[in-house]
Amino acid sequence: MAVILDAIVQLGEMLVVLVLAPLLAGYVRTLKARLLGRRGPPLVQPYRDLLRLLRKEVVLAHGASWVFRVAPYLVFATTWVAAALVPTFATGLVISYAADMIAIVALLGSARFMLALAGLDVGTSFGGIGSSREMMIASLAEPAMLMVVFTLSLLAGSTQLSSIAAFMQGPDVGLRVSLALALVALVMVAIAENARIPVDNPATHLELTMVHEAMILEYSGRHLALIEAASFVKLLLYVSVIACAFAPWGIAVSGQGFAAYLLGLAAYVAKLAAGGFLLAVFETSIAKMRVFRVSDFLGAALMLGLLATLLLFVSRGT
Amino acid sequence: MTKVAVYGFVRIVFDLLGPPSWWWGAVVPLLGGVTAVMGVLYALMEHDLKRLLAYHTVENIGIIFIGLGLALAFEANAMPAAAALALTAALLHVFNHSVFKSLLFFGAGAVLGATGERDMERLGGLIHRMPLTAFAFLIGCAAISALPPFNGFVSEWLTFQAILLSPALPQWLLKFLIPAIGALLALSAALAAACFVKAFGITFLGRARTQVAREAVETDRWSLAAMFGLAALCLLAGILPGYFIDALAPVIHPLTGANLPRQDELDWLTIVPIAQSRSSYNGLLLFLFIALAAGLGAEVIHRWSSAAIRRSDPWDCGFPDASPMTQYTAGSFSQPIRRVFGSVVFRAREEVHIPAPGDVRAARLHVQLRDVPWDLLYVPAARLVNYAAERLNRMQFLTIRGYLTLVFGALVVLLMVLSIWQ
Repeated sequence: MAVILDAIVQLGEMLVVLVLAPLLAGYVRTLKARLLGRRGPPLVQPYRDLLRLLRKEVVLAHGASWVFRVAPYLVFATTWVAAALVPTFATGLVISYAADMIAIVALLGSARFMLALAGLDVGTSFGGIGSSREMMIASLAEPAMLMVVFTLSLLAGSTQLSSIAAFMQGPDVGLRVSLALALVALVMVAIAENARIPVDNPATHLELTMVHEAMILEYSGRHLALIEAASFVKLLLYVSVIACAFAPWGIAVSGQGFAAYLLGLAAYVAKLAAGGFLLAVFETSIAKMRVFRVSDFLGAALMLGLLATLLLFVSRGT
Repeated sequence: MTKVAVYGFVRIVFDLLGPPSWWWGAVVPLLGGVTAVMGVLYALMEHDLKRLLAYHTVENIGIIFIGLGLALAFEANAMPAAAALALTAALLHVFNHSVFKSLLFFGAGAVLGATGERDMERLGGLIHRMPLTAFAFLIGCAAISALPPFNGFVSEWLTFQAILLSPALPQWLLKFLIPAIGALLALSAALAAACFVKAFGITFLGRARTQVAREAVETDRWSLAAMFGLAALCLLAGILPGYFIDALAPVIHPLTGANLPRQDELDWLTIVPIAQSRSSYNGLLLFLFIALAAGLGAEVIHRWSSAAIRRSDPWDCGFPDASPMTQYTAGSFSQPIRRVFGSVVFRAREEVHIPAPGDVRAARLHVQLRDVPWDLLYVPAARLVNYAAERLNRMQFLTIRGYLTLVFGALVVLLMVLSIWQ
């Protein structure tokens, strides 16, 4: 019985992730527009974009191989599965033991690997520039992320996100320098991985400044819809990871009953709203940096992550 | 071949030398970590497909030695369970590496046979001409880049789990050093992914850069069978790692005096190195879920929305160029990473020669990389050997008197050494 309930929660979680992800993206866009003094698109615009793209035909370049056509499905599937492994409103997910945080990071790496290959597939210069820069950013962001994972799991004694969330809710966390450093590093990685300002600009129309957008330049129709959906889910995933590890309040634990799940869902939506608001404010208050400054930015994140791990041995929670 | 060194190391250090002292556990993983990162950076700068793979062997041997060194550190502090985990990770990586690296070398050989080229800058678009080789090579690339659900990820994941046990070590040096080695391991894994995007993307994707690449033909079916067998093994060892870990147990036990918990009896073939609450990984479930989600996505989209496809010229922001020369090359792909890491590791220097306006000569970009370990380590060593050889060469032309004096002198010196020794 408990397993069935957990399975239902798992399915619900996967659907919630999929449904809420475009809303979060739309919310951030609208907020950014308001902060800039524009009216901005309606909240539901990302859903409309996805539907419109799904209905359109795919325009495929002549030189495109099967890698180009398979990549969107794999990218979407891997990102979605990774998001399904992150406890959003409830822990005790059925498949959460299938992968810990290291595996989640690696799953996102798989998605990026396929997408970068697809960028090279048609043989255009913009696709190449996008892939090359994306992999450069990832080669620094991924270790930084893993150092954050190290910090959290050394503290909680587990690499499972649900155990980390349970530990962070517990009494023996305390205020630690390490956690603050890890949070900063994680936010920096999240910004870089989701191609947000100041690393990349999701709304740019200037080709030379594009990284992620340049890589997917040749995509159209349903393929583009899948890639867009995957990037919405990825943004949601990172906000969820931050919320789960650093603000796990209100997450329902398996077997607590229906009310706890509702409460968990409400808390989750509130956390997403707060995260989206902070992201929008941050993005409007900072300028995009040059591509080769990104390595300094992410190098700093990597060092912060490493420092957070090392300080664990020195500091004692208060 | 490189595994012989690993075998020798394990036999000598774990078997013959007796109980290790703790500082071995600092030196060996540090050397391994530095080797891993340096190896992958060299591979990234390389445009010759086979040499790129060879440099990656350096990286993987580094990863294996991280595992071996951790095993030594745990062994020295009488933590047999942790030592067993680290040694399992190292030996599993030995196995995994032998599978995917053979696969990749077969693929590179097939490319060489079909085109006569190893230089990636003169290949491209081979996926259209050699689709099966390309597919097998892609699986090898994903496996070596430590991407789930393939086998490379499992052994690196186990190594990470071993690293996460390091705070229990009593020595402060190890406590601080091993997380830093974890960072090196993470860096090398991420760089490996970048490198294999380059290796596969430049060689097999895009448009053919030369006539030979345009006319390549698929390799023979026996080579293909070998590659597909290894590719299947990559996936199998990735989704059913429990069986492979159990198979290593008879080796691990005599060396460390402990074993990982048996893996093949767990639900759904999950692997649990220490305890369920601490960490677990299930490649099979991940693989099934990814397949299911991708299949579901494809089915839903093709049924309820458009399945139409129109072929057209590439968009390329409105400026498509017919010449394959305008594609990204291997050199340009690794340029950002060269800029980030190269100035320190390779003392990289880039010179751009742009002719004056009105001048019709082509602009040139000249990149110079220095092999620092070669210059600082091997070249002086070689010079020393040369110098000594030249000096000693004189002895070849002594008179008979000279030889007798030499023999006598040597005898006296040896006897003196012997008498002092005892």
